[in-house]
Amino acid sequence: MRGKTGESIMEKPKHEPMHEPGKKPGKIFLIFAGLCVMALPFIVFAAISYESPSIVAAETHTPLIESQSLDFDHKGNTIFETHDQTSKEYIEGISTDRTLEAFYMLRQYPGSPPYIPHKELEADGVEMECLTCHAKGGWSAELKGNTPVTPHPEQLSCRQCHVKMTVDSLFVDTDWMSIMPPKLGRSHLPGAPPPIAHDLQARGNCIACHVGPGTVSAIRVDHPTRGNCRQCHVPDLHPGLFQQESTF
Amino acid sequence: MSITRRAFIKSLALNSAVAAASTLFPGIIFAGWEKTDLPSGMIDWKKTPCRFCGTGCGLLIGVSGDRAVAVKGDPNCSVNKGLCCVKGYHSVQILYGKDRIQKALIRKNGKLVEAPLKEALDLVASKMQETIEKQGKDAVSIYGSGQWSIPDGYAASKLFKGCIGTNNVEANARVCMASAVTGFFTSFGLDEPMGCYEDIDHADVFITWGNNMAEMHPVLFSRMLANRKSKGHVEIIDFATRTTRSSQASDKSILFKPQTDLAVANAICYEIIRNNWVNKDFVSKHVSFHKGKTNIGYGTQDHFKFKDKAETVDFETYKKFLEDYTPEKVEKISGVSAMDIRYLAALYGDPDKKVTSFWCMGMNQHTRGTWINNLVYNIHLLVGKISTPGNSPFSLTGQPSACGTVREVGTLTHKLPHGVVMKEAHRKMAAKIWNVPEKNIDPKPTYHTVEMFRALDRGDIRFMWIQVTNPMVTMPNLRRYRDGAKKDGRFVVVSEIYPTPTSDIADVVLPSALWIEREGFFGNSERRTQHNDQIIPMPGDTMCNTWQLIEVARRLGFEKQFPWSRETYIEDIWNEYTRFHDNPKHRMAPYKELKARAGVQWPFVDGMETKWRYNPKYDPAAKGKDFDFYGKPDNRAWIWMRPYEPAAESPDSDYPFWLNTGRVLEHWHTGSMTRRVPILHKAMPASYVEINPKDADSMGITNGSKVKIISRRGSVEMTASINGRGNPPKGMVFVPFFDENHLINEVTLDAFCPISKQVDYKKCAVKLERA
Repeated sequence: MRGKTGESIMEKPKHEPMHEPGKKPGKIFLIFAGLCVMALPFIVFAAISYESPSIVAAETHTPLIESQSLDFDHKGNTIFETHDQTSKEYIEGISTDRTLEAFYMLRQYPGSPPYIPHKELEADGVEMECLTCHAKGGWSAELKGNTPVTPHPEQLSCRQCHVKMTVDSLFVDTDWMSIMPPKLGRSHLPGAPPPIAHDLQARGNCIACHVGPGTVSAIRVDHPTRGNCRQCHVPDLHPGLFQQESTF
Repeated sequence: MSITRRAFIKSLALNSAVAAASTLFPGIIFAGWEKTDLPSGMIDWKKTPCRFCGTGCGLLIGVSGDRAVAVKGDPNCSVNKGLCCVKGYHSVQILYGKDRIQKALIRKNGKLVEAPLKEALDLVASKMQETIEKQGKDAVSIYGSGQWSIPDGYAASKLFKGCIGTNNVEANARVCMASAVTGFFTSFGLDEPMGCYEDIDHADVFITWGNNMAEMHPVLFSRMLANRKSKGHVEIIDFATRTTRSSQASDKSILFKPQTDLAVANAICYEIIRNNWVNKDFVSKHVSFHKGKTNIGYGTQDHFKFKDKAETVDFETYKKFLEDYTPEKVEKISGVSAMDIRYLAALYGDPDKKVTSFWCMGMNQHTRGTWINNLVYNIHLLVGKISTPGNSPFSLTGQPSACGTVREVGTLTHKLPHGVVMKEAHRKMAAKIWNVPEKNIDPKPTYHTVEMFRALDRGDIRFMWIQVTNPMVTMPNLRRYRDGAKKDGRFVVVSEIYPTPTSDIADVVLPSALWIEREGFFGNSERRTQHNDQIIPMPGDTMCNTWQLIEVARRLGFEKQFPWSRETYIEDIWNEYTRFHDNPKHRMAPYKELKARAGVQWPFVDGMETKWRYNPKYDPAAKGKDFDFYGKPDNRAWIWMRPYEPAAESPDSDYPFWLNTGRVLEHWHTGSMTRRVPILHKAMPASYVEINPKDADSMGITNGSKVKIISRRGSVEMTASINGRGNPPKGMVFVPFFDENHLINEVTLDAFCPISKQVDYKKCAVKLERA
């Protein structure tokens, strides 16, 4: 993916959700929130044509969860399959205006499971009702937004990690600090593909979060039909440079 | 090894220099966490077991400088394979509540005031000394927890039992796991499960007994769901007294009336025998039949005593006993239809199905807790579904080291690290390893937990040191024990990390280091010992609980027994402690191995872990061809005749509702840690009372209205939750106990299982009033 901080490479969204922009920050937040739910970046999946909300995806093959979900090196087959099964319309969809700020507001540190920012659409159960929308994405008429896609749909017990806020106050103040989120556009050379700036555990399926109408616009790729993301994008988790140690 | 603050500052300075060069970050401040200069590229990932439940997930803590800043699941840990629950993912935030206790506090003129740590430790030691001189050694006590790190519990046991010579050592695991322990001892002669979490990947059927795993053991629960999804044929049956998230995710939810699990378990055995599903070969070779006393009481009176007596019987006697438990008869007692009872029996009885049973507090916090543990083992033993992959009666643990510390180190009044105080050989062994005279170790157990707090109230105990637990929220019939602890002439020391209702009543508060601020070990539900390094420095004057005990022991003159250096004491204690278990039935992994790995299961023999005990294929201590239940003198597992007996207090016309209490996903126990985690508090800010919609309707109670819950012991006002997360049946209410502002334990009853002395927090009678 190309990072796109500064200028927008996006066209004007084709299907902007019907909302009143900007009058009340609370409302905006609610709408962003509605767009944001469970996803951290990456998965793939079946498709929804966001032009009309008909689901065209085939059933996806879901492997038994092992040590990491959709780990690129060992579960690559699933990643490619789901990419294949995702419709062109979905892949090219760019209708949302989810922002990175809204994305991080749901998290306690980069990589933490986000909380559920919208009203619950079904009874307070364990599984499945979340995945009805978040496995495949697409337009939610009820929440008036495009649904972010989970990078780990094989995890069924969503509420194990994702909780809903019921109040906004704290029990006691906290002294919590965490790292800043990674900077975008970290290409090492002008025009070079940026490295992967985050951990891949449970977030190994790139197109869940970097492709499609439910993604955060700043991290959406401009070449979404290429399926082999990691031919160009490599993890960048080590801070230093190679140091040759004397072999004498 | 301990890491000094200076070393951390040094490493931080080094990191900052690199960070400055890398300038990786945009200058945006996102809501949700504070801006910091800590760069993500500098995160170091360090392994530790999770701080919370008995599942024992492996975590990787993201460390930047001297701060813990992130968490991910440890993919190398077979317990959770890289996944956590919401508490685990946010666990590091428990370190950073603004009201962290960083200085010692001493009560002066009625108020707790900050004091130098040395002064506080001196005072603790002198007060102990004085109490022992004036009131005798059995007037001092320590009350710890299943969240004690192993060295904490070991140091406590050695100091109190070995050096001072009192058996006044108890832990909150008494009210959490004691029935599981007595269940294991009476059925198998040795504590802790024969199986392991890998059973989940082999079983065809899961039956959960009064166990809301979706919230209490979420990582294991979602592992069951993943297996069900990938295999297609796997079934999950939720057998419970209330409808929960687990019920909703299960294939079938069967509700029973409180306490009648005893009758249903017997009815399942009746059906298994009637249908000829008994594994005759297994039973004839590996099982013997026994009966114990009946009408055994409830322990609500001070000085209650009970001792069971086993009598061997034959299969025919057992079969005759079960005639009282036909499905039709039991349907009347339990409210479970005869058809559902037969269905459960058929699942256990089907020779082609591997069955795993899970349970935790529903069966353990039960006035017949030992019995119901026995009865579920009976089922598995009759059909021979035990000690093989997927066939597993599995007692889940609540706390991260209830097994590792309380059960294995033996921080209970009757226990020693190996064996019990009543046995001379065990005392001899302890005296030798502890380097104390044999006569120091008193052969008579003193007080179990409830009786210990009664003794504090009565004045038999005058000094109590409480570590890593919050009894002024969790004791049942709380008012009596809080008033007792506050009486004149009582001296209460509390080792704590945050102010709690327990530290509020303390005379001295010692500031404790928390979890990854010190080195230690936990032991989880599946016999897995897990080491954690000190990952970040201790704030302020905080001190490791083990070291607090060592400091006081030395002040009491036990330098010889507590000789270790601050650099290596955790390793030294491990090496000394594991001498107690140096046999093939319980050998523990060496320190080096534990430091390197995400936990190791015991028995650890010749470099191999033991996944399934009592089975010679997997267990080096087991002899013979198929099974060897070596814990019992007859080398057999014991089936027990245990009848249905009613609860200590059942609803009546004055108090028409059952009160059931428990936990919720977001909060750990009394919330003293998790309520300081922003997301967990925001998701679950206060306790509530779940009421069945029909009951609520008939009383004019609506969702969110205030309700007063009243028992014969006390009352508390709560917000009603109708059709909320859980739904109790008509005639029951449920209240989570985490909320120190709504103390439901003022209402609960201090009745316990006469064998295990574990309290039943799940059953007492209450009435409701609109407030």
